[in-house]
Amino acid sequence: MPRKVNYGIDYDDDYEDDYNDDYDYDYDEEVEENGITAKTMPAKEVRTAKVWRCPICTYDNEDSMSACDICGILRNPLVKSNIQINDVAAPFKFNVPSPDDLVSSGLQSLKMKSKDNQRDTNIPVELELSAKDQESTSASVTRQRGNGVNEKDYAPTSGSIQGVPHSNVNTEAMSSKTGKVEQSIERKTASISDFTPETWMIPETVDGELSQLNLAIVGHVDSGKSTLSGRLLHLSGRISQKLMHKYEKEAKQQGKGSFAYAWALDESAEERERGITMTVGVAFFTSKKYHIVLLDSPGHRDFVPNMISGATQADAAILVVDASMGSFEAGIDATGGQTREHAQLIRSFGVDQIIVLVNKMDVVGYSKERFDFVKQKLGTFLRTCGFKESSISWVPASVMENQNLVANSSDARLSWYRGPFLMDAIDSLQLPARDYSKPLQIPICDVKSQSQSQVSACGKLETGAIRPGLKVLVMPSKEIATVRSLERDSQPCSIARAGDNVTVNLQGIEGNRVTAGSVICHPDYPVQVASQLEMKILVLEISTPIVIGSQLEFHIHHAKEAAKIVKILSLLDPKTGKVTKKSPRCLLSKQNAMVEVALQGPVCVEEYSSCRALGRVFLRASGRTIGLGVVTQIIKREN
Amino acid sequence: MKIVRRDLTRNGPGSVKMIPEEADDLWIAYNLIVAGDSVMAVTVRKVMREAASGGRDAERVKLKLEISVESVEYDKEGAVLRVRGKNLLENEHVKIGAFHTLEIDVNRPFVLRKDIWDSLALDVIHQASDPNASADLAVVLMQEGLCHILLIGKSITLTRARIETSIPRKHGPAVAGYDKALTKFFENILQAFLKHVDFNVVRCAVIASPGFTKDQFHKHLMLEAERRQLRSVIENKSRIILVHTTSGYKHSLREVLDAPNVMNMIKDTKAAQEVRGLKDFFSMLSNDPERACYGPKHVEVAHERMAIQTLLITDELFRSSDVATRKKYVNLVDSVKASGGTVHIFSSMHVSGEQLAQLTGIAAILRFPLPDLDDIEM
Repeated sequence: MPRKVNYGIDYDDDYEDDYNDDYDYDYDEEVEENGITAKTMPAKEVRTAKVWRCPICTYDNEDSMSACDICGILRNPLVKSNIQINDVAAPFKFNVPSPDDLVSSGLQSLKMKSKDNQRDTNIPVELELSAKDQESTSASVTRQRGNGVNEKDYAPTSGSIQGVPHSNVNTEAMSSKTGKVEQSIERKTASISDFTPETWMIPETVDGELSQLNLAIVGHVDSGKSTLSGRLLHLSGRISQKLMHKYEKEAKQQGKGSFAYAWALDESAEERERGITMTVGVAFFTSKKYHIVLLDSPGHRDFVPNMISGATQADAAILVVDASMGSFEAGIDATGGQTREHAQLIRSFGVDQIIVLVNKMDVVGYSKERFDFVKQKLGTFLRTCGFKESSISWVPASVMENQNLVANSSDARLSWYRGPFLMDAIDSLQLPARDYSKPLQIPICDVKSQSQSQVSACGKLETGAIRPGLKVLVMPSKEIATVRSLERDSQPCSIARAGDNVTVNLQGIEGNRVTAGSVICHPDYPVQVASQLEMKILVLEISTPIVIGSQLEFHIHHAKEAAKIVKILSLLDPKTGKVTKKSPRCLLSKQNAMVEVALQGPVCVEEYSSCRALGRVFLRASGRTIGLGVVTQIIKREN
Repeated sequence: MKIVRRDLTRNGPGSVKMIPEEADDLWIAYNLIVAGDSVMAVTVRKVMREAASGGRDAERVKLKLEISVESVEYDKEGAVLRVRGKNLLENEHVKIGAFHTLEIDVNRPFVLRKDIWDSLALDVIHQASDPNASADLAVVLMQEGLCHILLIGKSITLTRARIETSIPRKHGPAVAGYDKALTKFFENILQAFLKHVDFNVVRCAVIASPGFTKDQFHKHLMLEAERRQLRSVIENKSRIILVHTTSGYKHSLREVLDAPNVMNMIKDTKAAQEVRGLKDFFSMLSNDPERACYGPKHVEVAHERMAIQTLLITDELFRSSDVATRKKYVNLVDSVKASGGTVHIFSSMHVSGEQLAQLTGIAAILRFPLPDLDDIEM
């Protein structure tokens, strides 16, 4: 505990009655004061590690001592004690800035430069301090008063202090944890722009180090997605020959010989028995340019919610189409084809780069006509979805015969194709911009409860960075947990940044408080939780119109809830975005509208303008996706 | 509902003595009794009595009271109807004008006296005494991690249980965790199923889900029934139907009722009719939006032009309002019937009734298109 605050406590204990009004100062000022206070504290901490100075006799005590060796003063006095009153001779008039403040204002310029260096030391110190604070709530009160006292200090010199930015996050963390969570949350959500990332958060661009690319594999059922994933893993060396033989043998035993490669991804008995993928399978492999995270999605209609949850993490996608007669037509069918629905969903995830893999070319004899037919039909559809011609790559291949995947095709019949093979096409994808400099946000896609108070959560970091030892906040349950370790691709890692797909091992939280759909975030920048939202939606092709009271399923990142349309606010012009009609009676296909929805339960959500991944919404009903939208406003917040 | 005695004149005063036999009948009674009627029933009241020594003594006395209704409350889960009002009969324990709350329970007879028995009320009584219209379907509506157990009655749908767990994904080493969590989930559902589904009352049980969860649960159910010798399940194996829906949320109940094999079982029941009526309305709204309208104002305007072919209305509108509004709706219903149209009164306790209630509670399919309805404010 820094000496500075001790001063405040002492003086304040004497003059509680007089300075009660201090606490009613504006929050702004308090923020400033905390900022200043915090800045001096680290300075002091750095200088005198692990000792504290007794305010009365100025003896430097060991950190572990809770009372001064010489004069016996308690370090954190809980009760106004007579000793202190006697010791302090005359009432302090607070008309002169205290020596500490003079030092701090002088140090400010120094602080701003060296802040980054000191962050690292700050974090463990502050955490330790905050842990102590939680033990003695009255200590927090006294420190609060200490801050109050400081405010009075600054009243005359407030002019010079106004310029101080509210950028010290750590003190906020301390005061907030001692019981003022709601208030500080209220304050802090406004100042998200004040978050300054620490040095370890921004990655150094080291040549030769591969960056991570999240690749989703989508397409109609039975087009060959899982088989493709299995093949890629095998060819890149991830799966040993022995393991592959084992899968083949087992698959043949069950009568599903052709599914041998898919079994690398479909691991549960249910999936293997039925020969389908039910949930998104995650696998890692490395190509020449990237560390690739494969998200193998289910293609079956009933599992589209799972596919949405999985593909939320994608940066780019491979759309697998079956070239054989009839299958392609079924996939692109307007009323039920998953090729169509997946392409629309992928586009609305913000993915603009797509590789279309025309699979099963061996069945159609590698015919160029068939390939061109598929390319032309699907191409027009993709363009209507919003994909740019230049960001679509077309690759004909056969996964079963291993043609055109990792090397140019050896088959003579494919010689008319001059473009890149699949791995080349993957390597030519561009990484989207990553938000390293925003506060931490990880939407959780999967949770495993290890043991009492230890939980493993997997997800992709949308913004910010994380490393072991940090305290994080889990919304919507509002619990604080510590990061015990991080794992990427089953190997421990020390730092994970935006765009990485990791498993976070959390400590200090119960398994039932964390679920798929929760969000891990920075304790001072909590994600908003709401159950009533206003959003702008695009209605897809629907059979029954959407009216007030329509009940739908609401999907956002990995969370899903039952929802109800409360109001249809207005119709919008698709090109200009202006309001064309207010309060329409119902919504028909292909209309853009502003609507208000009420959810059955609260979800973590952010407005699309502030965070894209947490603001994208999918509306489904009767087994089809009927609307895509973005959150424009949060109407009712859950506190 | 058993009608013991009926003594009334159409559109005139009269009284009916009836005995509710199940929860559905209480709902019907709830719709019948409005403020201003009088209800007579046997009830228990705490009476203060002065003992010889002067001390007050509270005694619970069984009396027959007739009260003039001021308000009615229906307790869904407890299946009890509370009628509150002022006492009318001369009684040695209770003064005239004293307030009392009557609890109407299953198998307790009561007499309802009304000033005006309008066509609606008569319809309701007639339906109540019809013995074969009992739908009674038990539905287990589930998806991975979420399950609702619902009982669909003649006029009400009760949510008997709601089970929600978090089931982890199944990749890599966690496959065992998935199986364990899923088994635990099914076990919970099984317990709830055994508790709430009584095959003597229910015609059939439906297990519905997207994907393969229903098959997995069915398999689990059969295995456990064999293992634990659950006679009720083993004997009624044939009465369990599997239906595919698109989600496990409550609004997918419509899809369950739409499924052909379930539809066959409940063809003539109210629930099925309501679902069909609402489906017709929505298909009309999408094909020819000018021939469908909703909202009291629009429906009134349509009615003035004699355009209504089918009227969809929830019973909530009749219940809560004052005499004038209720009369207006009754007139509306009567005149639509008189002009050759059909009227569907939706029970607001059914899924489709709930949906109609969201849609303002009143909707109509028209005989001919009315394009200028759009211009009228809702």
